[in-house]
Amino acid sequence: MHNNNEARPDSEVQTVHHIALNEEVESFKASPDISVLVAMERAGQRLIPVGCRGGGCGKCRIRIVQGEYFSKRMSRAWISPEQEAEGTVLACRVFARSDLVIEPDPPEIGTSCHAADQSGQ
Amino acid sequence: MKKGVMRPGHVQIRVLDMDEALKHYVDLLGLIEMDRDDQGRVYLKGWTEVDKYSVVLREADRAGMDFMGFKCVSEEALDELHKGLTEFGCEVEVVPEGELKDCGRRLRFQAPSGHSFELYATKKQTGKWGLSNRNPEAWPRGLQGMKATRFDHCLLYGTDLDRTLELFRDVLGFDLAEQVLTPDGKRVAQFLTVSMKAHDVAFIDHPEPGMFHHASFFLDTWEDVLRAADLISMTDTSIDIGPTRHGLTHGKTIYFFDPSGNRTEVFCGGDYHYPDHEPVTWDAGELGKAIFYHDRQLNERFLTALT
Repeated sequence: MHNNNEARPDSEVQTVHHIALNEEVESFKASPDISVLVAMERAGQRLIPVGCRGGGCGKCRIRIVQGEYFSKRMSRAWISPEQEAEGTVLACRVFARSDLVIEPDPPEIGTSCHAADQSGQ
Repeated sequence: MKKGVMRPGHVQIRVLDMDEALKHYVDLLGLIEMDRDDQGRVYLKGWTEVDKYSVVLREADRAGMDFMGFKCVSEEALDELHKGLTEFGCEVEVVPEGELKDCGRRLRFQAPSGHSFELYATKKQTGKWGLSNRNPEAWPRGLQGMKATRFDHCLLYGTDLDRTLELFRDVLGFDLAEQVLTPDGKRVAQFLTVSMKAHDVAFIDHPEPGMFHHASFFLDTWEDVLRAADLISMTDTSIDIGPTRHGLTHGKTIYFFDPSGNRTEVFCGGDYHYPDHEPVTWDAGELGKAIFYHDRQLNERFLTALT
């Protein structure tokens, strides 16, 4: 089948990468044109906490243990230059360039209100 | 009692990438680019706003809010407010005229919540965008995206709500319009107004000072909010929650994120407030309904995704 949808050319479908969590069996597929976080959401998984999806709030912080990736600018409030150099990144700003092995590393964000109490979780 | 503070006048927001940010604030939200300065800042406004600009974007290496500014009735009122702020214990920095383009001197201070605020009295008025002030038509042609009408308020997460209320009420002349109280009487949310609107600025109790939750923009109708939701999906924009209604203020709303992770709200409707009105109180046990009136469940992201 052919369509004219240039956003998803056939050639890119063949370069889908596998993103796996360290020491876990779960994994999901990520094409290189969407962030690791959004790829996870589209796979219906919840391995990484989802926040703003824009590199600002820090909730989706992960460590990339293995693999190649491209990253866009991330807020220095959550990722220092040293962390960035060592592969600590925000999953919403990272695009896979090979299969990746990752570890969630969400920062502790306190709250004075309690959503969990409200929702009975 | 009124002290000469008139309305929310501007907010300066930090973005990680200016070109991406302008797609959000101009193409999607529908603000109008009014100017740029030699620092690279971009000045925007909603089309109904009379002053030249209300949103200033600054590219930086972290997201969040630099400051929120309130416009005051006169330079004389500004002098009186300066005294009041100093007596309250605030350190006041006088930012000289012209630091923001076409804006007079600004008094900058930090609230106990950890946020920077400014007061000013003078800003160039260019009038409503695309309309004459004489025999004006209903709306201008050529608006984009959600066609946001004006910058309305900010919601800020921070510390020391009690002292912040004292500052805004006693020094700046705001009223407490709505609040959320815990069973032991602690106020965990306060919605403050200096007008008839249900809020001109709001605060939620948070362990870390100075955090930015959202800047909000006004739309006329629920249909406009639904249309905003359509545009959010059409553009694959990061959504937080909505369309829904708040219990607090009863506004009808949708929340989404700019490409740097700063939350944006567009909303319509909402309650009104006069100075003789008692504050509206929501119990913390009803917080889910207070925030999201239909879901009646607070999502964790709304409390912890901050810039």
